[in-house]
Amino acid sequence: MNAIPVDIPVLETERLILRGHRIEDLEEEKAFQTSDRAKGIGGPNPPEYAFRAMCGYIGHWVLRGYGMWALEEKSTGRYLGRVGCYYPDLWLEQEIGWSVTAAGEGRGIAFEAARKAREYAYETLGWTTAISVIASDNERSMALAKRMGCTQDPDWEHPSYGMLTIWRHPGPEALS
Amino acid sequence: MTTVPAIDTERLRLRALGPQDFEPLCAFYASDRSSFVGGPMDPEGTWRALACEIGHWTLRGYGRFAVEERETGAMCGLIGPWNPHGWPEPEIGWDLMNGFEGRGYATEAGRAARDFVYNSLGWTTAISLIALGNDGSRGVAQRLGATLERQFTHHRFGEMEVWRHPAPEASS
Repeated sequence: MNAIPVDIPVLETERLILRGHRIEDLEEEKAFQTSDRAKGIGGPNPPEYAFRAMCGYIGHWVLRGYGMWALEEKSTGRYLGRVGCYYPDLWLEQEIGWSVTAAGEGRGIAFEAARKAREYAYETLGWTTAISVIASDNERSMALAKRMGCTQDPDWEHPSYGMLTIWRHPGPEALS
Repeated sequence: MTTVPAIDTERLRLRALGPQDFEPLCAFYASDRSSFVGGPMDPEGTWRALACEIGHWTLRGYGRFAVEERETGAMCGLIGPWNPHGWPEPEIGWDLMNGFEGRGYATEAGRAARDFVYNSLGWTTAISLIALGNDGSRGVAQRLGATLERQFTHHRFGEMEVWRHPAPEASS
């Protein structure tokens, strides 16, 4: 037997558990991917895309040793979206990514989770810098980037996703 | 932790996919040979496809294997059970990497994958989905004893043929 070493760490914040995606997350992920909320990540997408997206998040952990976590609300067990350390092939730089479902909106969920992911990137993975890549019309996500202390870098034109804004996080020393 | 078995056949080894398989997959997806299975794709798309194949193991408990030529260690195929959301039924899929056609590898690995789904996963039936016009893949289905059952239209991949494999008792 040879194992796929997909040993995704479980992290905890005040209201959330950050863990690997599970098949039980599929319905909530599908609702997200097919909605306008997925515009910021290249959507809305057909329902079948949700399963492949979740597979991709898990496989990212195997290929890179880090990746995106599923956000589970402690009090309800509900899946609220994803956050994590993201760097697919040909991406600009290592990214802290986030997007939350409608149920996760407006409660500081993404902020809480993204701070934890950034802490993990700096303290556990040893990243010395991080960006967040945000669609140019995604005002809410940009507001979160500002709340995270990010400053804007030059835009990046992606061959499939078009022009994207780039937000640079404060480095590890500035946050410690 | 998802555990992927390693399965040896006469000439081949089926094993877990990993980062080392990115390059042969890039060559395959860059070529027109991939046009029947969602390609051609650039390296960026290929990386995401590889990640997706790996994650499928976690979400379903099974997935496709990297197939290695035992003599050389070369990665020569992406073969095994595959069941993404929106698929009509769980299938056994086979993609041969460039340069490994014509040696019976897809048939050899496809048979091992079918034994795996019947004996280890407990499937009682299996299909293979083949894009219209993919004669090489059709030949593999026929050599494995599968029969053409019907057509299926996928929103992204278009018209495909559903080939039904012999049931476990008939294929053993």
